[in-house]
Amino acid sequence: MKLGKRWLPAHILVWSYAVLLIVPLYYFLASAFKTNDEIFAHPFALPTSFGFGNFRTAFDSADLGLAVVNSTLVTVLALVLTLGLALPAAFALARSTGRLAPVMEKVFSLGFLVPTFAALFPTFLLAAATGLFHTRTFMVLFLPATAMPLSVVILVQFMRTIPKEMEEAARMDGASTFAVLRHVYIPMCMPGIATVLLLNFLTFWNEYLYSLVIIGPDPAQRTVQVALPTLKSITGTDYGVLTAGTVLTLVPVWVVYTVLQKRMQQALVSGAVKM
Amino acid sequence: MTTLTPTPGDTTVRRPGPPSATAERRPPRQGGTVLAVPALIWYLVFMVGPMVAIFVVAALHWPGMLQPVSFAGLGNVRTVMDDPVFWDAVRNTAVQLAVALPIMIVCAYMLGYYVAQKPPGHRVIRYLLFIPGLISTPAKAMVFYAALSPDGLANGALESVGLGSLTDAWLASPSTALACLIALDVWAGIGFTAVLFAARLGSVPDELGEAAQLDGAGHWRTMWLIHFPVIRDYVGVVTMLQFLWTLFGSAQHVLLLTQGGPGSSSTTLSFLVYQKAFIAADLGYSQTVGVILFLAGLVGLLTIRRAFRQNY
Repeated sequence: MKLGKRWLPAHILVWSYAVLLIVPLYYFLASAFKTNDEIFAHPFALPTSFGFGNFRTAFDSADLGLAVVNSTLVTVLALVLTLGLALPAAFALARSTGRLAPVMEKVFSLGFLVPTFAALFPTFLLAAATGLFHTRTFMVLFLPATAMPLSVVILVQFMRTIPKEMEEAARMDGASTFAVLRHVYIPMCMPGIATVLLLNFLTFWNEYLYSLVIIGPDPAQRTVQVALPTLKSITGTDYGVLTAGTVLTLVPVWVVYTVLQKRMQQALVSGAVKM
Repeated sequence: MTTLTPTPGDTTVRRPGPPSATAERRPPRQGGTVLAVPALIWYLVFMVGPMVAIFVVAALHWPGMLQPVSFAGLGNVRTVMDDPVFWDAVRNTAVQLAVALPIMIVCAYMLGYYVAQKPPGHRVIRYLLFIPGLISTPAKAMVFYAALSPDGLANGALESVGLGSLTDAWLASPSTALACLIALDVWAGIGFTAVLFAARLGSVPDELGEAAQLDGAGHWRTMWLIHFPVIRDYVGVVTMLQFLWTLFGSAQHVLLLTQGGPGSSSTTLSFLVYQKAFIAADLGYSQTVGVILFLAGLVGLLTIRRAFRQNY
């Protein structure tokens, strides 16, 4: 389709929005290398030196190093558990011909209607009752449950596209149910598995509210997202340190996004479609 | 298709015939749905359990974590309804939804259409649009905190262009606090939603737009009269998602940026749930608002679904 001269206003509007997206990020990146005085005097100037002083302060005063380790631990373990639960479930629901399967699928997709803020208090009670309050362990157990609706729904869609003959052939060779799952379904569902992994990586790494209440403020256990806002009060709003800390929490997501850009967008798009 | 009257077609299908070859070859489905049980249990314990508990706690009088609990029935509903703060929260939430949702969906659709036409630089645009979708809530809040605090980016920019008289403590002023939170939602939401629309529009066959252009339709008409009806149900799905995210989730920004203040000028319903539970320790009240929130979500969802139902 040809884009005529009348598209000029559209170009201008779109690029202004793009600028609105970049400017805060540029400001953040530049400020991470500046002192408070420099930030106020020349907010948009390039930093004069590229020292890592602010990063070090952010690291030390908010214990960000430990927080990154905690976040990584929680995210990775929760991802493993999510796949461990969702793969067999999706496998069963996709190939089952019984009446129970569609009902179960409906139950899973109702999970989108749970109001996060309201469910927080009962979840807190559950954490207290199981004796796992103020631990990362509870988050590792809890996060996969929140990911179950979307993960199961997406994986079921992918597994339905696998022809029945594949399984029948494997059965002829004497494969057990688990062997069929492992050697037929999982290899053929890799795009679906990648989608689920990426979507959940984003939500788990960025999770804030539940981590705040359940894991709490203990520096030994808390995640980066909980540690980050504390920089505001610890440093008496030293913008340089604040922005340096924020940049640090963005790095893992950024790396994954830049490397897997196409994949990531596909993942989110198919996530929205399946919901 | 809910009618139970037998149709002629039914009888032919039900007539027992010789077993077909395909039916015989089908292997027994051992294993079955049992494999879904662990996931289901997990989901029931950690999500459905708390969901049910919301309704139970809402019927209790529970004035603090360590206080004695008594049955309140509908007493909490009366307390909530008599509280002016609740009605402030209802108003703020309504304003938030009424302003943020239409702006977000309309702008995102147009932006998505723009990107889907593959104009020069569309790859760069697509990469940038996605950025807010990657940033965590605390990081987004930090961006806005740095931009809107009294000595932040916005005021600095205003002063440098000689509009110093317009500066304000944006987040601490009753007249702008809610607007700032809405701006944050819209800023972050448009780009991300536009990527979703662009992807869906990309799968609409090119011939459709080209045919319309041959008939003399401009881009404006092609966008709204040709492409929009085609992806109408998808727009509905995305609207539902944004509705739920705004209603249930965006109160994290309230927590991080304004704490609902000044006064109750930026208290939203979902923030009220948090505030009553973890700050004011009035648990019955908190969960009653939670139930109201759930019902609002359900009603909104059904309304949006109806409004976007495919009708051609």
